[in-house]
Amino acid sequence: MKLADFQSLFQERVLAGSGEADKPLLKKLRSSPRGATPETLLDVYQTGYRIRLADFVSQDHPGLRAILGDEAFETLVDEYIDRRPSREPNARFFTTGLPDFMRENSPWRDDARAVSMALFERAMVDAFDAPDETSLAVQALADFAPEDWPRLAFNFDSSLTLLELAAGTVRAYDAAINEETPEKIDASAAAEQVEYAAVWRVEHESAYRRLEADEYVALNEARAGQAFGDICQMAAFQQAGEIAPERLAQCLSSWFQDGMIIGVRVRDDHSSNTPSSA
Amino acid sequence: MENPAPLGYGLGLRPVYYDEILASRPPVDWFEIISENYMLAGGKPLAMLDRIRADYPIVMHGVSMSLASTDPLNFDYLRQLKALAERVQPAWISDHVAWTGVHGVTLHDLLPIPYTRESLAHIVERILRVQDFLKRRLVVENASTYVSFVDSEMSEHEFVREMAERADCLLLLDVNNVFVSSFNHGFDPIAFIDGVPAERVLQFHMAGHTNNETHRIDTHDQPVCEEVWALYEHARRRCGDVSAMIERDDNYPPLSELLDELQHMRDIDARIANERALSAA
Repeated sequence: MKLADFQSLFQERVLAGSGEADKPLLKKLRSSPRGATPETLLDVYQTGYRIRLADFVSQDHPGLRAILGDEAFETLVDEYIDRRPSREPNARFFTTGLPDFMRENSPWRDDARAVSMALFERAMVDAFDAPDETSLAVQALADFAPEDWPRLAFNFDSSLTLLELAAGTVRAYDAAINEETPEKIDASAAAEQVEYAAVWRVEHESAYRRLEADEYVALNEARAGQAFGDICQMAAFQQAGEIAPERLAQCLSSWFQDGMIIGVRVRDDHSSNTPSSA
Repeated sequence: MENPAPLGYGLGLRPVYYDEILASRPPVDWFEIISENYMLAGGKPLAMLDRIRADYPIVMHGVSMSLASTDPLNFDYLRQLKALAERVQPAWISDHVAWTGVHGVTLHDLLPIPYTRESLAHIVERILRVQDFLKRRLVVENASTYVSFVDSEMSEHEFVREMAERADCLLLLDVNNVFVSSFNHGFDPIAFIDGVPAERVLQFHMAGHTNNETHRIDTHDQPVCEEVWALYEHARRRCGDVSAMIERDDNYPPLSELLDELQHMRDIDARIANERALSAA
């Protein structure tokens, strides 16, 4: 048997388990001098593969396990391993496709809370090893003349992810990582409501916090390169019932304090554009 | 080409020990990293590695080069590995006599091959290409295996010896893997150690494994067992001043227990040196 054919057979045995298809492979195995059956020995590779991948999913998704419960979580992991064989040399990235897998497949696509949790936890994992950047302190603003402030635009840490989630996702994650009993909520009602969150990295650890709706809009626009003055004029802020510049300044201050901002620049008038709608 | 100088006694660098290593600067001569765990854009793993690298030599040990696979060599992977090597400046880079998948799939395991002329020519050609790409000699490790094949035309140590000579690569002799495979396949572990070219052995791995009675599994989750220590002594007598280390990848003990295992290694080596000094006198 050619090496390539042998490797195809062997891999199929690891991925699919024992069956008719591995008879040609079994003929190629020497007997164990210790009496181990060929099935037992091939299972070392099969179970090893599944356990390693399942461990990665479990490590990355404590909140999802808490929401689904152990049995449903393990069913999800089994299905994911079966249907999405790993293609990444670095197993850390195996879990990256899980939220999309859930969104595309029944029954998980109907569980907005579970999909939200998977998205949130993927952002936490991605933030952990995102590229290194140096955040700026709010004092960086002192370098700019007051008349330039409306045209200030900001660069954000590449670890920052903004998420629209099913209501209660962040609280459920807090409960899971603190090993607390999750609150009882009406799942169908919660799935229809949303909350907003930011995930990023501070020093060496992933960080997160919930955002009010207006801050979520402002942060999205600021990250897209909109200038401070343009964001102030946005409809979402006008409707917020507060004086927009003060509220936005408050948000901006917290973005600096949180270590999200890595650059400040003055947009020239030619690059300024009409603010996008909220 | 001259071999890299021996580094002494090392440990596998694992995240669970970062804080203690940085706080106490333990008496370890060098650390080995799992290369893939640091092939990242940024973040804590690389930051910790940079800090530890400032005080200790580092060796890069990979698990995904898939040298024996019939898939094309993964040059995206090799480019990332090379970039990491430029950052870390490792004493050397190692991987395994194994494959990890075909058809683009990765099984995250070190899978066995039949020891045939075809396999030998295949892995030699790939090691040569990798060495050409990385601009350095590769260090290649014998893996633990749980099945062996009727198609094999030579023993594992014959395969490893010929591979090393034809590819002009260096060897990482995993003493625990020799023991595990010898138990599983019924060959003589001493004959294996005596059969590999000692002058090409640059490094020893020592680790624990799980004994399932009918077979043993290379789990790295237990202390090194007595049989493997005995084999280590034989390997040390044969290969001389080779960098040696303990691998631990699960069921992590306090760092002090791993340092005790390193001390046990030093004690064995000191005894061998004393015996040699006495017999020379």
